[in-house]
Amino acid sequence: MEKIKSNLIEAIKGTYPDAREQDHEGNRLDFYVKKQCVPSILNYIKGEGYIHLSHIAFVDWIEEGEFELIYIVWSPKDKIKIFIRARVDRENPLMPNIESIWRQANTYQREAREMYGIQFEGFEAPNEFVLEDWNEIPPMRRDFDTQAYAEETFFHRPGREDAMDVREAIIERSREEIPDFAKKYSR
Amino acid sequence: MINDKNSQKIVDILQNWARKHSLFVLAYGTGCGAIEIPPTMTSRYDAERFGIRGAATPRQADVLLITGYLTTKTLKRVIRVYEQMQDPKYVIGFGSCTINGGMYYDSYNTIKVLDKYLPVDVYINGCMPRPESVISGIVKLQSLIAEGKANGAAKYKENLDWYRANQKKIIPNWVMPEYNW
Amino acid sequence: MELILNILGAIATIVLAFTVGMSYGGIVRKITARVHNRMGPPWYQNFIDAFKLAGKTTAINHGIMQHFGPAFIMVSSIVSLMIVPVLNGGGWFENLNFGGDLIFLLYIMVFGPLGMALGAGQTGNPNSAIGITRGLSQMVGFEIPWVMALVALMVQFDTTSIVDIMRIQNESGTWMMFSSPFAFIAAVMAMLGMFRYSPFDIVGAPTELASGPVSENGGKYLLTMMSSGSIFAFVKLTLYVDLFMGGADNLIILVLKTFALYMIPVLYGIVSPRYRTEQSIRFFWGWPTFFGLLAILYAVFV
Repeated sequence: MEKIKSNLIEAIKGTYPDAREQDHEGNRLDFYVKKQCVPSILNYIKGEGYIHLSHIAFVDWIEEGEFELIYIVWSPKDKIKIFIRARVDRENPLMPNIESIWRQANTYQREAREMYGIQFEGFEAPNEFVLEDWNEIPPMRRDFDTQAYAEETFFHRPGREDAMDVREAIIERSREEIPDFAKKYSR
Repeated sequence: MINDKNSQKIVDILQNWARKHSLFVLAYGTGCGAIEIPPTMTSRYDAERFGIRGAATPRQADVLLITGYLTTKTLKRVIRVYEQMQDPKYVIGFGSCTINGGMYYDSYNTIKVLDKYLPVDVYINGCMPRPESVISGIVKLQSLIAEGKANGAAKYKENLDWYRANQKKIIPNWVMPEYNW
Repeated sequence: MELILNILGAIATIVLAFTVGMSYGGIVRKITARVHNRMGPPWYQNFIDAFKLAGKTTAINHGIMQHFGPAFIMVSSIVSLMIVPVLNGGGWFENLNFGGDLIFLLYIMVFGPLGMALGAGQTGNPNSAIGITRGLSQMVGFEIPWVMALVALMVQFDTTSIVDIMRIQNESGTWMMFSSPFAFIAAVMAMLGMFRYSPFDIVGAPTELASGPVSENGGKYLLTMMSSGSIFAFVKLTLYVDLFMGGADNLIILVLKTFALYMIPVLYGIVSPRYRTEQSIRFFWGWPTFFGLLAILYAVFV
């Protein structure tokens, strides 16, 4: 497996010198690439036997002003999954369309367009995917405040304002310290 | 004699008794609660001994069992289903999500309080309610029917404008048939 | 005077058929529940259901045929009830038994499903349309062994009258299920499809089709269909008892015989999953048709 991995890294870095690899233990291998290279890299590794597009995941790096798209590809022959990671500008998120490589990418791209507002070049699909009559900013973006939206849109039954924060109750009972990073999320 | 008030009362008592003992339940399995329906109906908890029976279509159903959270998208379908049902009809809200939003209290696409949109006769608390509580909720509904107090459908008809306003607030694109029976 | 007595007899027959059929339905639910290791509803549950359905409003209008569909089924059930002799020697339940009734019965028994098809077709519900298609396909399946069995009986005893067949059985002292066994086997196999219990419940399959043809009918329409189904079940069972088990001398024997016969599709159904349409038709065109053919050969040559 290590040999297959190093061969793959060599081949990809030979063609795309600015691709950066990150080797994980086991059967996982990550590549950080430029967004223009994504279709050609996917095309290449599909020819190498990585025929299954497991998923396209999306991450909103709001602090860096970027979205990250992670194409997870699996080879049933080598038993290795490759993560192709590409970043795109948050203000103008335009990604290359990979629908011609894998047709099932259509579903993921529709989801990305609706939930994150990421656009794809020459991508044609019905406008609504899961949401209906949605007029706000895409709801999975981190600058969308879902609690404020919910409080404004829906009726709420009074009586859960004093609901105990479970974490604080547990800590009080067992006299533990809250770690600093967790305090930010505690109510 | 026929339209006498007392004879009407006797007919009501008889009809309420029959309604109580033959509830056709349409389980609208939108949320996770749908998984509690099979154990309720099958051999361990056997809801059929109360005369409860699954109905496959809204036309035949008496009880609409809303199992779990309702998104704004499924609420539209639930309203449609509820309005297709024939009188007398009852609604059971099932699980915390229908009562106050439950764990989805801050979600952008699930409604929190069901009885603002549909007339709920009985709520069953829990996340998820176990089959015992489902059965106790249904028995509660039966006792309400026997007393003639389960009149959610009449409430819906009287306050249709209020319910419609609430529904249209979260379903802006309203294309549905008129409710006129 | 005679006319009034006849009408009273007809009404008594309908009430009897309704009561027995509905009670059988309730008992079947109870038996199913006991097989599943449940308590089950009481045996009179179907009467409560019927009473409740009568009290429901029915505010659906899809057109005239939708209202006629349940009426057609009811008419078909009652006409076939009038033709089938209930007891040996007639008595109160003589009704309309006449010379060529077996052939007429064959026609009138398919009238109900056809009326149902028209009614359900107008509701515009896709589930109804699929259910109707399946029902008619399955009917094509089980009608063949069933007609073969009847033709074998007609050829063997040279008569098309049910009353005559009952008389022959009583005179000779042997039931038809012993004197023409192959016809009985074919007819019983066809009965499995006629009653639409599992594995042949492809018409109203609740989880697939949302109860199929009746999916747009609630309230009083459902009541009409339910009661006509019960009456029709009684008719079919009585017909089998008349043809193959020597009829019945009084009501108690009739109930015992029909119940014993009814248990064949019910008990076979409880332990079976559901067939697909083509599997069902393949079943009926297999062994049942073979036995039907054998019955005709037996009738002609023996």
